[in-house]
Amino acid sequence: MILLQAAVGGLLLGAVYALFSSGLTLIWGMMNFINFAHGEFVMLGMYVALLVSWVNLGPEVFGPAAAVALMLLGVIVYMGLIKHVMRGPMLSQILSTFGLALLLRYSAFYIFKSDFRTLPDTALSGTLNLGGIYVSRAQLLAGLLAGVLALGMHVLLTRTALGSRLLAVAEDRNAAMLMGIHPDRMQALAWGLSAASAGIAGALMAIAYPFSPSVGETFALTAFVVVSLGGFGSVPGAMIAGFIIGLVEALAGYLIGPIYKDVIVYGLFVAVLWIRPQGLLGTGSESRS
Amino acid sequence: MRPRWGSIVLWGGLLVYPLVVSFADSGDFLQDVGATLVLSAIGACAWNIVGGYAGQVSVGHAIFFGAGAYVPLLAYELFEAPPLIGVPFGIVVAVAMAALIGLPTFRLQGHYFSMATIAVAELIRLVVGNWDLLGAAIGIQGPATPRVWWDLIFRSAVPYYYIFLGVLALTVYITWAMAGSRFGYYLRAIRAGERAARSLGVPVRRTKLMALMLSAALTSVAGSLYAIKVGFVNPESGLGILVSVQMIITAALGGAGTLYGPIIGAIILVPVQSATNTWFGGSGSGLTYILYGGIIMLLARFEPGGVVELWQQLRPRLWQLLRARAKTEQARVA
Amino acid sequence: MLLEVQNVSCSFGSLLALSEANLSVGEGEIVGLIGPNGAGKSTFFNCVAGDLEPTSGSIRFNGVDVTRAPAEHHALLGMGRTFQVPATFEDMTILDNVMVGAFLRYHRRADAHAKANEVLRLTGLEAQANLRARGLGTPGRKRLEIARVLASEPKLMLLDEALAGLTPAEIQRAMELVRRIHALGITIVIVEHIMEVILTLAQRVLVFNQGRTIAHGKPSDVVNDPRVIEAYLGHRRHARRERRA
Repeated sequence: MILLQAAVGGLLLGAVYALFSSGLTLIWGMMNFINFAHGEFVMLGMYVALLVSWVNLGPEVFGPAAAVALMLLGVIVYMGLIKHVMRGPMLSQILSTFGLALLLRYSAFYIFKSDFRTLPDTALSGTLNLGGIYVSRAQLLAGLLAGVLALGMHVLLTRTALGSRLLAVAEDRNAAMLMGIHPDRMQALAWGLSAASAGIAGALMAIAYPFSPSVGETFALTAFVVVSLGGFGSVPGAMIAGFIIGLVEALAGYLIGPIYKDVIVYGLFVAVLWIRPQGLLGTGSESRS
Repeated sequence: MRPRWGSIVLWGGLLVYPLVVSFADSGDFLQDVGATLVLSAIGACAWNIVGGYAGQVSVGHAIFFGAGAYVPLLAYELFEAPPLIGVPFGIVVAVAMAALIGLPTFRLQGHYFSMATIAVAELIRLVVGNWDLLGAAIGIQGPATPRVWWDLIFRSAVPYYYIFLGVLALTVYITWAMAGSRFGYYLRAIRAGERAARSLGVPVRRTKLMALMLSAALTSVAGSLYAIKVGFVNPESGLGILVSVQMIITAALGGAGTLYGPIIGAIILVPVQSATNTWFGGSGSGLTYILYGGIIMLLARFEPGGVVELWQQLRPRLWQLLRARAKTEQARVA
Repeated sequence: MLLEVQNVSCSFGSLLALSEANLSVGEGEIVGLIGPNGAGKSTFFNCVAGDLEPTSGSIRFNGVDVTRAPAEHHALLGMGRTFQVPATFEDMTILDNVMVGAFLRYHRRADAHAKANEVLRLTGLEAQANLRARGLGTPGRKRLEIARVLASEPKLMLLDEALAGLTPAEIQRAMELVRRIHALGITIVIVEHIMEVILTLAQRVLVFNQGRTIAHGKPSDVVNDPRVIEAYLGHRRHARRERRA
């Protein structure tokens, strides 16, 4: 029974992984760019929630506040930094977001110190008993909302006009330009969307789990594993992989020990690279250099 | 190689530095900073081979540094051997890890390699941090007092300084020899354009792998030197991400892909870091990394070629300025 | 036969970009590949060069099956190529660019250096040897790409629109260079849009349209082939209609 409980907890967390990893893979597929600061965007979402709670606003504001704040940050980062390094060597591309990650992470350490915090108790406290499985209300809400939002992102990309414009730029930048789409604007929007997805995921997690500035590094790695498992640029792939990783992590933690759950996940990453680098839904050709 | 006055000044300066500062009040401290500087340069030069010349950005070089630091100290802890004996074994471990990471990732896009280096570094840090045989979170110590001279335990930093300087010279020589060879040209071609390189017959995957393995070996030596001097290593100091960051920023600030860039980077950064550590104490290191993050971003955005590139862009203008000055001087005299 | 391409097809997912293309090239020939944009020329070209793996069919070069071989292997066997958008090594000098090519056959630095200088003289670039490649304009870059490939001593050179974007004077110079290369005994397959180039340089022409080869023969014959005219005119008419919309 406890195994089932662990599994449910893992799936709920996995939904959150799916959400923020979708954002990372969107950028990857669209601009062939990995945002090494993506984990820090998630972390910032958590702290936005904290700040909002300090001004006594309810948890329903956390998500939207994080979304707005991070969307703004994502656009600013694109316009100020990414746009310019895109045309440069790989070294500066990787260093740009890596440097940003350091900046954000250690600024957060400096301001908020390294202690783990939780948000103050709200209406979301307490545990539900669903047929013998105990789930905290907050975790359930976080997981469900994250899942819905991840799905929403997929729908946005595949079934709306805006989404097809974004995908057009991803497919063929020059052709998109000829069709009157501004690739620059679309890429800025994609960055905003990606950062917002990370921010909301962070805010949702902050409701349910303790957090500190150090989690950014861990989530970045989680996101890497998820997007690699899901397949280059594939949002549905990232969604499925998110659930898988959440589940594997929880089961590994329960069966082997909490210390080793990260080891199992990173080990899985290496295994994916060795055995099936195109992940679940990748076609293989895009991942090759 | 035409000996340029710049490199002569550099090596000359490095050679006499400990002697010169021995006359200062804080001479011992300055000599220690010097040793740290040279060690940092070795690590940066090692990273430079795969990250600078080949353009494959490893963000997990701590793996190789840690291998070089842990294995010799383990040789002491388990077999009471002088750590020096463990150095070649550390190299073997590092090179094996390089192959493990490079083999699957070098046939994929560059991002996979970078992501994999972070993930594997973190993986190993976690494993080592929980493995009692390897000291777990506490770490491993080397010999406390010298039993034989090749335990390499010195009270003063000066012997370390010169050993490190010798290794640095060797590293720079290896880099120089490599850069002028077929292998070096192929590395630069890979960085400049993989697809074109391939079309010219460059065995891209194999070349990247060899570069990574060479870089890993040299980084391992840097780690060994660190362990021998400090006499202690733990998962943070040997395998933490900040070890990797240090190597990257030192090489990139000075000029990734250039021969002396990493050394210049060390000359700039190590004194700065030492100063902030003394002024701000413990919290200083947090500020240091905020600063590092900012510097890395600025480098990436404005001058990815680092100080060396900046200098090459400014130098013609400086000449113009000097020549213009000389002309006005002449005009005035006439 | 130096190059034998048999029934090569290449699809990307559900899109069949190239269907059952055939081509035989003998030593010393100059063969042209023409066709409207998106006709499959580039796909064919990249399959032959080793950048793409054909979904079916076979490619033999100098008697060796290279269908699944990577581009590095093609180069080793004696096939060289240029790129439609010049892919010179921007931050390296012109000399160093060419040396990368020379190192394929000459492993020692001094030998590669000598070979590179020889090629620079042949292609008229020796005056700019120590200039960084990024300082060149498009014609210079195209010339550098050709020099770089020449240094690898290919038996077959694949030129991908090496003359596109050049002024008429530059085109003349470039054609002169191609003729000089051909005179060295190198077989050439050239993808080109410019009719004048095809008509004067190529001995044989293969025409692509919508993923298939629709005509093959002497340039003068092919140009008058009604199917070829339809392919081009049809496309031009379509393009004109799009512009008006």
